[in-house]
Amino acid sequence: MVDSPLNILIADDNKSDRLILAAIVKKMGHHVCFAEDGLQAVAQFNEQKPDIILLDVMMPNMNGQEAALIIKSSVGENMVPIIFLTSLQDATDLAKCLDSGGDDFLTKPYNKIILQAKINAFSRMTKMHITLQHQRDLISEHNEHMVNEQEVARAVFDNVTHSGCLNLPNLKYLLSPFSVFNGDVLLAARKPSGSMHILLGDFTGHGLPAAIGAMPLAEIFYGMTAKGFLMEDILREINSKLKNILPIGYFCCVCMLNLNFRKEQIEVWMGGLPDFYLLRHDTKKVDKIASTHLPLGVLSSQGFDCKTQRFSLRREDRLYMWSDGIIESRNDEGDLFGEERLMDIFNANKVQDNLFDEIVNRLNEFTGESGKDDDTTLLEVRMVEESEVGEVNIDLSSGMITGPTDWNMRYTLRGDTLKTFNPLPVMLGILSDVPALHGLSGQLYTLMSELFSNAFEHGVLGLSSELKKDAKGFAEYYAQREEAMKSMGEGSVTFEFDHTPTSEGGRLALMVIDSGGGFDYQGKQDNQFNDQGYSGRGIPLIMSICDSLEYLGNGNTVKVTLSWSAKGLEE
Amino acid sequence: MECKGTGGISLAHLNMPQIMELKELMDDMFGDLITTYLCDSEEKLPRLEAAINEANSALCTELSHSLKGSSANIYAEDLSALLKNIEDLARADSFESLPDGFINIEHEFQVVKKELLALL
Repeated sequence: MVDSPLNILIADDNKSDRLILAAIVKKMGHHVCFAEDGLQAVAQFNEQKPDIILLDVMMPNMNGQEAALIIKSSVGENMVPIIFLTSLQDATDLAKCLDSGGDDFLTKPYNKIILQAKINAFSRMTKMHITLQHQRDLISEHNEHMVNEQEVARAVFDNVTHSGCLNLPNLKYLLSPFSVFNGDVLLAARKPSGSMHILLGDFTGHGLPAAIGAMPLAEIFYGMTAKGFLMEDILREINSKLKNILPIGYFCCVCMLNLNFRKEQIEVWMGGLPDFYLLRHDTKKVDKIASTHLPLGVLSSQGFDCKTQRFSLRREDRLYMWSDGIIESRNDEGDLFGEERLMDIFNANKVQDNLFDEIVNRLNEFTGESGKDDDTTLLEVRMVEESEVGEVNIDLSSGMITGPTDWNMRYTLRGDTLKTFNPLPVMLGILSDVPALHGLSGQLYTLMSELFSNAFEHGVLGLSSELKKDAKGFAEYYAQREEAMKSMGEGSVTFEFDHTPTSEGGRLALMVIDSGGGFDYQGKQDNQFNDQGYSGRGIPLIMSICDSLEYLGNGNTVKVTLSWSAKGLEE
Repeated sequence: MECKGTGGISLAHLNMPQIMELKELMDDMFGDLITTYLCDSEEKLPRLEAAINEANSALCTELSHSLKGSSANIYAEDLSALLKNIEDLARADSFESLPDGFINIEHEFQVVKKELLALL
């Protein structure tokens, strides 16, 4: 007897034949059902769902071959073996049976041993078929699940990483559609000061592990850039975060830029990425700039070096950055694209505006079909006038429209901290909790930075702003500044913020008090500090930002106020 | 009745070792099988004769094919061979010698029937 009985349909118009077949099949322990012609066979197949069919060829009403065609066309992907019963001897006739969908045949007189062996063989095949189908369904289910997860991950990833300003007119980029899971990241964001931070990253490995690391990286990049942190601080933070969360052997090759439109200068930190190219607009000369650091996530905070390099970048000078995917792209023959080919494109270039497309096209030609899934990330950065990239537009965080409005804070910097620490990001961070002020981050940053340098340089260090009126004086000024810093002992600068709600919105008063000797501000205040001697203090700039400015005491205290209206916010 | 006393010869009409095996397989269904076979054949043979006389090729083919198969299955090898002959001729639409052939079949069937009944 068998462990799992099958249901076997016997379709034969001859009753004595059916009896013999039934006896053989029942002896094996299987169940039987019967049909006396082809029509009945089809009906019984639909009704009884047999596992194996024994089908006579010559039957009235509908012959076995016709019945087999109908049955086989309706089984779908299930396997229902059909064994033709025949006394046909002719090879062509037997072949015809198999062509019409039969899987095997049995000739009369029926041989018990052969039929039993055939049923056993087909039973094994059917079971294997069912197992395969089951496993295929499982795999397909798992795959669907995985694809779904990847889509969700991708949506989250896009939300986190694509809130930047990659669409600005001075940037061109190529990011492979597979980028989420190939570990390449491309981020760009404006700083409150108007400069732009750009980060191109290439995580080790592929798939989810590579994508996961990109999320905190993007969060830190955007969060800290918006708050006015310097590149060094951001890199240090990302490095320590990645070092903490990534498993050993996982890291991120990074090139980060600070693009300063006003100074026409870039600041670069580069770890582990291939050289990037700097194309001079006027001379068409190409400079290669190489990595000078280890990738992020390798060194501990203590060992991490955030030293940056600075390069001047004139209008229309261009930078080309890439992950190693470009140089390591292969063609169908397995050759690498290589730096030489890349350099050739630069040398052959006639119109610099077309260079980016030339690189992309050349790369596509080279890789052909084989390169479609490579991680090719390419970025062109062009130095432009700040007006071309527009004002800094920092998103207002949702939630309370007014935020904290009634508060006071005092922040004093002393001694060495005063000399070395930049307090602006911290203070800007606190001010940014008031949504209206968050929108004014750029102006506030400028305001505080002017007031701080006035208090520190003119107040605490006692330098004269008059020196700064010409180029020679500037040099002298900075020389004196160095000296004064060295000899400076005690000294402090205090910021006192006082924010109060008003009927329209709120009012910020900022008092900056330095430990210096002050200056004679009477009289100057009356003519709006417009005369030559005080232009170095940036007073007109400050006045353009705030509602009022006044010097108090002996001139070592300055108070500015700035009001905002909730009405303006809602628009 | 004419087969009485010639039992030795009539054994050739049935493949004895095979039918004994079938008997064992069918067990208590063997009687049913034999009765079914005989009834079926006795119903079909007169129809086959009529079909031959009418020179109905299709019906003649169908009946002789069916009888050939069921006879083979009970190991009436000679009878099955005679029926195959009829089937082939009917398929070829050559009816001249068929009536004679049918007489042989009739005779052979009676022999087989006797032998089968003897096994019950």
